[in-house]
Parts: sequence; C-alpha cells; structure tokens
Amino acid sequence: MAAESPTAAGMQAGGRRDGFWLLVLWIVLSVIGCLLVALVLGPHLPPGRQSSSAASQQTDFTVLGTIATPVVLGVLLYLGWALIFWRQKSGDETDAAPIHGNTRISAIWIVSTSVVVLALAVYGTIELITPAGAGAGQGPQPIWKPAGTTTSSLTSWTPGTSNILQVQVIGQQWAFTYRYPQFGGFETTQLMLPVGEPVQFNVTSLDVIHSFWAYTLGVKADANPGLNNVAYTTPQHTGYFQVRCSELCGIWHGSMYDTGDVMPVAAFLKWTQTTRVQLADVTKLLPPYAASYDPSTINNLGAVNVKLGLVGAGGGYYNPADPEQP
Amino acid sequence: MSLPARAATLVVAFLAVVAGVVFVAFEFIGAQPSVENYTPYASGGQVNVTMMTAAQTTVTNKPDWVTYFIKNPSTGNFDHTTYFAVPPNTRVNMTIEGYDGCTPLRNPLWGKVSGTLGNVEDVSFFNGKTYTPSAPLTTFDTYANCSVQHTFAIPGIGLNVPIASVTTYDENSNLCGTSPCTAANQDADSPHTVVKFSFTTPKTAGTYRWQCFIPCGLGYLDGNGGPMGTPGYMMGEMEVNA
Repeated sequence: MAAESPTAAGMQAGGRRDGFWLLVLWIVLSVIGCLLVALVLGPHLPPGRQSSSAASQQTDFTVLGTIATPVVLGVLLYLGWALIFWRQKSGDETDAAPIHGNTRISAIWIVSTSVVVLALAVYGTIELITPAGAGAGQGPQPIWKPAGTTTSSLTSWTPGTSNILQVQVIGQQWAFTYRYPQFGGFETTQLMLPVGEPVQFNVTSLDVIHSFWAYTLGVKADANPGLNNVAYTTPQHTGYFQVRCSELCGIWHGSMYDTGDVMPVAAFLKWTQTTRVQLADVTKLLPPYAASYDPSTINNLGAVNVKLGLVGAGGGYYNPADPEQP
Repeated sequence: MSLPARAATLVVAFLAVVAGVVFVAFEFIGAQPSVENYTPYASGGQVNVTMMTAAQTTVTNKPDWVTYFIKNPSTGNFDHTTYFAVPPNTRVNMTIEGYDGCTPLRNPLWGKVSGTLGNVEDVSFFNGKTYTPSAPLTTFDTYANCSVQHTFAIPGIGLNVPIASVTTYDENSNLCGTSPCTAANQDADSPHTVVKFSFTTPKTAGTYRWQCFIPCGLGYLDGNGGPMGTPGYMMGEMEVNA
C-alpha cells in the first residue's frame, strides 16, 4: 500500500510546511513585485502621458499590471515549488496521492477570482467613461464627451472656451489628411494640435477602411467611408507624435504614417493663420465641410467632364458593379 | 515502407513545400520592376528624369491598365517600370509626358502643387499639332475643368504634383492608343501634356515610395485595385542612393 503523500498532508516528511512557506513567499514577492510594477515600470509603460487619454491608458495599464503581478507570481511560484520539491525522486515508484475535492478551496477560488474579474470590469467601465471614451472612436454620436465642452461653433474657435477644437481626419490610400473647419475649412497633410485644449477628431475615409492611430496621444479610431467616427483627447505636453494606419488597407498600408506636433496655443494659432493663407486657393475647391462626403456624384462638374461621361471622382465610389475584373 | 524510406519521403516533401513557398514569394509577391538608375547621369547637383503616363499598358498582359513609364537614361527608350534611383541632395528636373485623359480628383486637395521648387509646375499642352505652354501653375480645379489625369506624389518628402491633362473633349477622345506613346508606335503626336517641375532629393539615402492619388484603377473596388496596387503601374519607389 502506498504511503500517504506528504504534500497531501500539507507537510513534507522532513517537516517543511509547504502551504505556509508558499504563502509567505508569495506575499513577500507580491509586495516587491507590485511596488516595482507600480512605481518603476508603470511610468514607462506605453503610450506615455502626452495627452489625457494616453495618461489614462498608462494608468490603466499600471493598475492592471499591478493587479496581475500577484496572480502571475503565484502561478510561477507554485510551479517552481512543485518542480523543485514535489518532483518524483529517483527510484521512487510509488503512486501519487489521490486527489479529493476541497469545498473550501473551491469556494475561495471562485469568490476571489469573481471579485477580481468583476472589480476589473467595473474599473474598466469607469475608465472608459471618465476620460471621454479613453481616446477610442465612439461612432458618429459619441456617448462620452469631455466635461465642460460643447460644439457651439463649427466655423470658429477660441482657445480656453468650451467650444471644442474640431479636426477632421480623412483616410485615403495611402495618406491621412486633416481638415480644420473652424479655420476656414482648410485641409492639409500636417496634423498640428494646441497643448491643453480638448480636441474632437472626426475620423472618416474616402475609400477603404483605415484606422487613425495616434498612439502616443492614446487615440485610435477606425476611418470608415461615409461615416464620422468621433474620438476625443486633450494634449498635455508639447512635442511630436506618430500617426499610423492600424487597419490593413492595401499595398502601401505599411507606409501610411506621418508625424504630428503638439505645440503651444499661440504657435498653433499662428500656424493656422499661415496655412489658411497658403492653402486658400485649394480650400475654395474643397467640398463644403461635412462629417463625410461621397464624391461618386459631383453636381458641379464642368461641361467637358460631363461631355466625357464623367459623373464623379475617378475610380467609382462603392460602385455596385465593383469589384469587376478587367 | 521502411523507416529510412519514410524519413526520406518526409524530408523530400518538406523541402518541396519550402521550395514552393520560396518560389511564390520571389516570383510573385516579391517581384519588382527594374530600376532606372539616374545616379550616374547627375551633373552639377542636378539630374534630369523623364516619365510618361499612358491610358493603357499594351506592352504587358494588362493592356487596359493605366500606367507610368520611365525613360531609360542609357537607351532613351521608355521602359515599363516605376522605380528609379537618384543621388541625395540633388535637384531632380522631372519631365512627365502625360498621354492619359482627365478625371476629377476624389480629394481636391491633391490638385494643389506642393513640394516642388517654387511650389509650381510648368505645363505645355499639345493638341496634336502645336505646343502651347502655360504660365506656371499652382492649383487645378478638376471639378470645373477637365484638367488633371494623374498625380505624382512622394508623401515622405511632401511632394504632390497634379499631372495636367489635355482639356478639350476632342483631345480627350483622341488619346494615344498604344503604349508607350512614342514615335515608334506612331502615337507621339497624340494630344498630350508635358509637365515639368523640380524638387530636391533628401540628404540621406533611403527609399521613398511614390504614388498617384487619383484612384484610376477602373473596374476595381473604389478604383484602388489593379494598377493602383501593383508595382510598375501607378506607384513605385524613388531610391536615393548614398
């Protein structure tokens, strides 16, 4: 008859109390690990703190990482302990101890994991709501808007007021362009933002689905043709940031990136004035500002275009016959 | 079957699969058109590059695809490629012979010339008989006018040049029908434009993709498939050599 396994009794033959030492080690390692994650690793986690949404995301990652640390350490500690102390000794061919159910351990496990998961769900929901959608696209009718902001004017903007700065992000194969309706509606390949001012990104596309990802700003919103996808953030620090397309959109998807700049408010206003003048001749050719626009049918085409049978922009725009093979 | 025979069969089958993958990767996915190397032809900090647009590609098995050609600096012939190499920090004097017809821009922003020296382009219109040069142009209204056929844009250096088109219905109805549109094909006298502009290459070596921003892949979803998504037609690369 096989002898009862010492692990089943919670005590090794030599008198070592596995459960006690596992618990002690786990607590000590968890305290150290949580402090390291929260205080040392946390401040360096992406996406940084260049904007309000980025900062909230970094805080969330830090919180989640800190909570996950004891779980990870517990699993690894138990695994290591088992490998070192509970491994089969050479020449020992006795059977392992039979495993029986343990209602108390099961209950503790179910309750504790449920509490952790539900607490994280509540925390995640709050963290999605309070930073105005956490920088994610909320669709054409956003639920969570930055506190104290309004959309009182789409044709003018004054810093420090509740009227939020509007920036339209237009994806097209393979570049992003940006339109500023409150400054005469000019469109440019440059993305400039004022520091400390809430921004509403209106993200759309002229062709396929793209995704506007200003990752150090913590902003990510899909660019869908014919749809306005709204995302919010407030830049908190000046400096450059990278914009990338994060939706596979064609052969040059990997090259669809550019660099934006968060600048002081005065510099931003000066830039808008300069750019508005520089682009005046092409701005008047742009269609009136709208949440999205469909160039498949252009009503004001010139006589030669019409005579040539052209009704809209080249290539068709969601032509029902597409895709057809030549 | 013996164990060695089974092992040998497994190895052979594995190698066959690997060879198939490598063949597909290099033959189809990684295939790249030839590069027209203009670097040896640079002189005095400048180099002249000549390209051509055509409404078709009769030299390939995709005859109804629009395309660019690049003049081979050695032979003077227009080769079917969209890859060219130039030296760094050099003024590129670009000439693009535009043999395609007009189309409205999906995004009128691309009707603005930018990134060229002076932010202008010079255009000469050929109606089949005579050339008519215009004053330097900065902006094209493609909705009101039949004025642009394609664009030549290098987003990485902020370059965007609308390639002007011939402007009348008759000219657009009598475009070159065999590409490249040369005297040898008896198409050089077709109505076309000659667009000239200059820009400076970056100071550091690198590869800069260029593309047309008019979705001219007719018949494909949003016009962005086919020639718009295939190297050698409406997009390519500018290699800046060290």
